[in-house]
Amino acid sequence: MLLLIALGCTAPLAGQDHAAMGHDHDGMAMDMPIPMPKGMVMLPGLVGLTPPVAPFLPGMVADPAGLPSARPSQVVALADGDTLDLTAGLVARTIRGRTYTMYAFNGQVPGPMIRVARGATITVRFHNAIDLESTVHWHGLRLDNGSDGVPGLTQAPVEPGGDHTYTVRFPDAGIYWYHPHVREDIQQALGLYGNLLVDSEDPDYYAPANREQALMLSDLLVHHDTLIAFGREAPDFALMGRVGNVLLVNGEPEYRLDVKRGEVVRFHLTNVANSRTWNLSIPGVPMKVVASDVGRFEREEWVASVVLAPAERYVIEARFAEPGRYPLLNAIQAVDHYRGEFEPQVDTLGWITVGSRPVRPDHASSFAVLRHNTDVTAEIDRYRDQFDRAPDKTLHLTVAVSGLPLTTVQFMSVDTAYYHPVEWVDGMPEMNWLSTAQQVRWILRDEATGAENHAIDWTVRQGAVVKLRLVNEATSFHPMQHPIHLHGQRMLVLSRDGVPTTNLVWKDTVLIPVGSTVDLLIDAANPGAWMLHCHIAEHLGAGMMATMHVVP
Amino acid sequence: MIRPAPWLLGVGLVLAGPATVAGQGPGTPWEMPLRAGPAAPAARGEARLQFAPSPFGVAVTADGRHRYDVRITAENLPDPATLGPYRVLLAWETPRDLSTWHRLGVVRNGTSLVGTADHNKFLLVITAEPDSLVTTRSGPTVLHGMSPSGWLQQFLTHPLFRGMSQ
Repeated sequence: MLLLIALGCTAPLAGQDHAAMGHDHDGMAMDMPIPMPKGMVMLPGLVGLTPPVAPFLPGMVADPAGLPSARPSQVVALADGDTLDLTAGLVARTIRGRTYTMYAFNGQVPGPMIRVARGATITVRFHNAIDLESTVHWHGLRLDNGSDGVPGLTQAPVEPGGDHTYTVRFPDAGIYWYHPHVREDIQQALGLYGNLLVDSEDPDYYAPANREQALMLSDLLVHHDTLIAFGREAPDFALMGRVGNVLLVNGEPEYRLDVKRGEVVRFHLTNVANSRTWNLSIPGVPMKVVASDVGRFEREEWVASVVLAPAERYVIEARFAEPGRYPLLNAIQAVDHYRGEFEPQVDTLGWITVGSRPVRPDHASSFAVLRHNTDVTAEIDRYRDQFDRAPDKTLHLTVAVSGLPLTTVQFMSVDTAYYHPVEWVDGMPEMNWLSTAQQVRWILRDEATGAENHAIDWTVRQGAVVKLRLVNEATSFHPMQHPIHLHGQRMLVLSRDGVPTTNLVWKDTVLIPVGSTVDLLIDAANPGAWMLHCHIAEHLGAGMMATMHVVP
Repeated sequence: MIRPAPWLLGVGLVLAGPATVAGQGPGTPWEMPLRAGPAAPAARGEARLQFAPSPFGVAVTADGRHRYDVRITAENLPDPATLGPYRVLLAWETPRDLSTWHRLGVVRNGTSLVGTADHNKFLLVITAEPDSLVTTRSGPTVLHGMSPSGWLQQFLTHPLFRGMSQ
């Protein structure tokens, strides 16, 4: 053991190529039950421990050889009144030459991209052919409450072999997604996600582009030839969420795109990872952000990279002016909690190859202009008189633990001098792995009543505008950022730590860094019982959810 | 299950202590106490970090370093002319090895938004200077402090992590 400690002390982490740290798990330092980043040791007091839950992997009774191979996502264009059959089932997925039993909607990863016109209503006949209860949640849509897909709130869970019919309407243009709302930590991680692309009736809604690409970003945690098992009774990785070591774009470890010189590409980005927040860039290629969860920004902005928290969406436009090969990167600064240092990590998610033949039409001139969406501003203006008033509700975000390994408790007690506002990767994989939702309770606490999580059951009038303050406490046992998602409504991020937001966009998910206070304005226009929760799947599984009833 | 030696709990509590004592460590990742330099022993101040404006709410560089607006609140700052041939007090950001000095902005009594810092760990140093456009630090230090991230500690060699399996 002393040898391992010595290795951990001397291994030069700084400046290493992250290809050997996370994205490429062949660089693991030693044989552990879970993959450990190169140079990181397993704490002696944790060696030999396993999470206090039974392991679960999908299809334990299925013969993988008999499963269909997963296929790439197909676009399904639907008109108002159409019906889609959607089946969650087992598939065989081959990633980097290794085949795993996983899940897929209609055999596709991502699931079919449902493309509709704004204002359409479709019927989705869902069949559950996986080995867990499931539902389908239509993330970001202001749809009818009965079709929101939340077990115990809007429907009963769909048993294996069971069916459920959803009526899905699309009141807002933009990029949305669908996923199960039962054990997301398992089902979403293993492939049950798909995009919904809602087209505006306005042909000038976005600036012209030569091509559109939907990228769903996820990760998968594997060790050698096996998936790391999930907790059967409760999620494991409950402290930080499961952060994978194989990074995936549309379910594949290496994204490829060929474009012509001068092409403007509109990327619809969706983070479907359990816990990972991304920082995406294409070096040498100008990018601008034009829209987010529920529509466009007031003003487009040039950006050097895109920060994408779990469940968030951003619409980015990029122009590839010169021939060449351009990497799509995820570049972050990890915190090495053992060495007390930051470690730069860069993962190449794929390559975009730009040919020498020029594209027609050339949208260079329109791309050079940052548009000011005056219609967005005008609509938001109707809410501005509410911006400066006191919050109606305040929620504190914190955590309580019991029964964690003593070593974990001791380490955390000495590691509380500083928490990074955003943890970009899992800096303590073994402690995280050993923590389950039976030991960790992530908490939303109502400041006014002291009620927590399920006990928070707000009622507001339909049409009310609710100012909600979220306070992410920095002094808890393990502070961490939380992407907070509100179902069925839209909201504005008014301010962060007292600094007003100057370029507004309607959102359904907002990232709250450690120690931050964020004020939201909720447009409670859609009646029903709606969840508000952290979209780190394991935090949701560990209780971090509340309910808001919007009554007519 | 491997049990830790009982003395380890005591070690953990002792180590944890200073981080929770007011003034010893940051209460949040945003607060940055400043200390007076010998040239201005009466000066008092603190800095507050906030994510710089970003459409994503969280501002980072392309390589992932957080970008913070630095807001300094100070009192009892001396007139720079009383310290020598100086006219302004300037804030600088420098990494812990002092290898580079990034000029931020002018600091006055009260609250000053001085610019954006983007090192993972950095020192904030306020000096008296001849003017606000100098590119190198030359004058005496009035206030200085360390970014909250400077509190990240090296734990690997601590007995806490050696003794567990012995």
